Amino acid sequence: MTGRQRKQFWRAVHAALILVAMFVMLVPIVWIFLAAFKTHVDVYQLKLFFTPTLENFGIVFDDPYRLGQKLFNSTIVALVTVVIAIPIATLAAYSFSRFSMRGETMMLVIILATQFVPAVVIILPFFVMFRDIGLLDTRVGLILVNLAIVMPFAIWMIKGFIDGIPMDTEEAAMVDGSSRLQVIRNIVLPMAAPGLLTSGIFCFIIAWNEFLFALILTNKEAVTLPIGLALFKGEEGDLWNLLSAAGIIIMAPMFVLALMIRKYFVQGMTMGAVR
Amino acid sequence: MRDNTLKYLLVLPAVVVVFATAIWPLIEAARLSFTVGRLNRPGSLEQYLGWENYTWAFLEEPAFWNSVWVTAVYTILTVGLTTIMALGLALLLAPGGRLRSSAQTLLILPFAMSPALIGVSFRFMFNPEFGLFDAFFGVLIPPLADVSWLADPNLAFAVVVMADVWGWIPFLTLVLIGGLASVPRDTVEAAQVDGASGWRVFRDITLPQLGPVLAVVIILKSIFSLKTFDQVFMLTNGGPGTATQTLSHYIYFNGMKYGQIGYSAAVAWLMVIPMIFLTYAYAKFVFRKN
Repeated sequence: MTGRQRKQFWRAVHAALILVAMFVMLVPIVWIFLAAFKTHVDVYQLKLFFTPTLENFGIVFDDPYRLGQKLFNSTIVALVTVVIAIPIATLAAYSFSRFSMRGETMMLVIILATQFVPAVVIILPFFVMFRDIGLLDTRVGLILVNLAIVMPFAIWMIKGFIDGIPMDTEEAAMVDGSSRLQVIRNIVLPMAAPGLLTSGIFCFIIAWNEFLFALILTNKEAVTLPIGLALFKGEEGDLWNLLSAAGIIIMAPMFVLALMIRKYFVQGMTMGAVR
Repeated sequence: MRDNTLKYLLVLPAVVVVFATAIWPLIEAARLSFTVGRLNRPGSLEQYLGWENYTWAFLEEPAFWNSVWVTAVYTILTVGLTTIMALGLALLLAPGGRLRSSAQTLLILPFAMSPALIGVSFRFMFNPEFGLFDAFFGVLIPPLADVSWLADPNLAFAVVVMADVWGWIPFLTLVLIGGLASVPRDTVEAAQVDGASGWRVFRDITLPQLGPVLAVVIILKSIFSLKTFDQVFMLTNGGPGTATQTLSHYIYFNGMKYGQIGYSAAVAWLMVIPMIFLTYAYAKFVFRKN
């Protein structure tokens, strides 16, 4: 082989390796997408070509599965969690970003650390408490505990965005007689808005996909989509065509949201350790 | 209002929420861990018995040690495999080009997928009759053609590890691509002009530069691996037997299925201890950046 041929050869190998990796990453997702459109006969065979059907999507919303109710619960729980978390996190993030406080590092580390506490530890006392005060199997209870996983991400992520906003405009407005709260409302919020939206979407995805809390705290009324997956176990095993249809309903909206915030994904997940 | 007061008022709501949703449960779990703590026995949540739950875990419960072992092996395997494969993929994608931008977009998708759903999808893929991966491995490695993956303790463990690695490679890859982009190009080029081989450039320049980013993702991945619950629950539910029972799953089972809240709180606290070290290490990296 000449030098040029060799170079071309390696370039082809390189591209082929990337394609193989992408293929492996996509296969389980694509397989679910295909299965959701298969009949209950086709799904139990290793078929690539089949006559697609939409009947599965009808069945999962009907009795006894009633996925619509779970969809509603998931939407409400994730949405309200975010609507509570983002404003609270924004105020804190602004303060952490602009002022120095006694015990600031300590507070930030504790907030970071709470994200790393195993969910199963947090849920034991909540289960006991909710049982005593009647919050088991309610959306309110679920929202309260979801705040635990969402808050640390929200605070750290928004702090990152506010850190990136230059302080000069704020200082100029203060010199002109604006109060600090006016500055936050009129200057910081508009400039941080895209960041707040990004953080909100990020937290929404996390709350939407949350599994352990919902598994332990709900059983009938407040069941969310990921727990709803457990419904599709029939007498003779898993009902794969229905599971897949439900799977699409769970993941498709999140795919759209994740693509919207893909530039900030790494920053959000690492809570500012990697930018 | 003066800034000096305001700054504390602004963080107050967040501190209250974090305290109520994370610190209080930790303290309450610690208290419960010293009680008899049976869900179905009223009053037992206030009935203290000292360290008995802890000594019970250590001395009388082989199932506890089994889940410690499972979690340890699981963490080492998933962290190691995910890091190595993500590093490989990041190096493949680092030069840029059309393939990379579409790959980067695709890599976002598994993050958007609920871990529970990843568990379901891998149970699907390894179904002995119509699972795609099952068929694939059967062709590739003929002795595996007729096995039922999830019924065999070791193979079920392998599937759980694969599902985890599959779900986490994208995130680590994206982080490492970012890390690779910050390796100074002139240093690499200078070394290449001096005749250094690709491997030497990687070992002596790229890897040391990547060090801190690599450390961050390894710590982060270790934390998430130690906590693993969702996929395991959906994929194998800890089985067959207790072959894939992680600590989180063990705690869940004792607390929720058997109603032994006190005992499971004790085990849960034993699990918090390694987390404290990992979080400390992680915090050091975060604050070095700022």
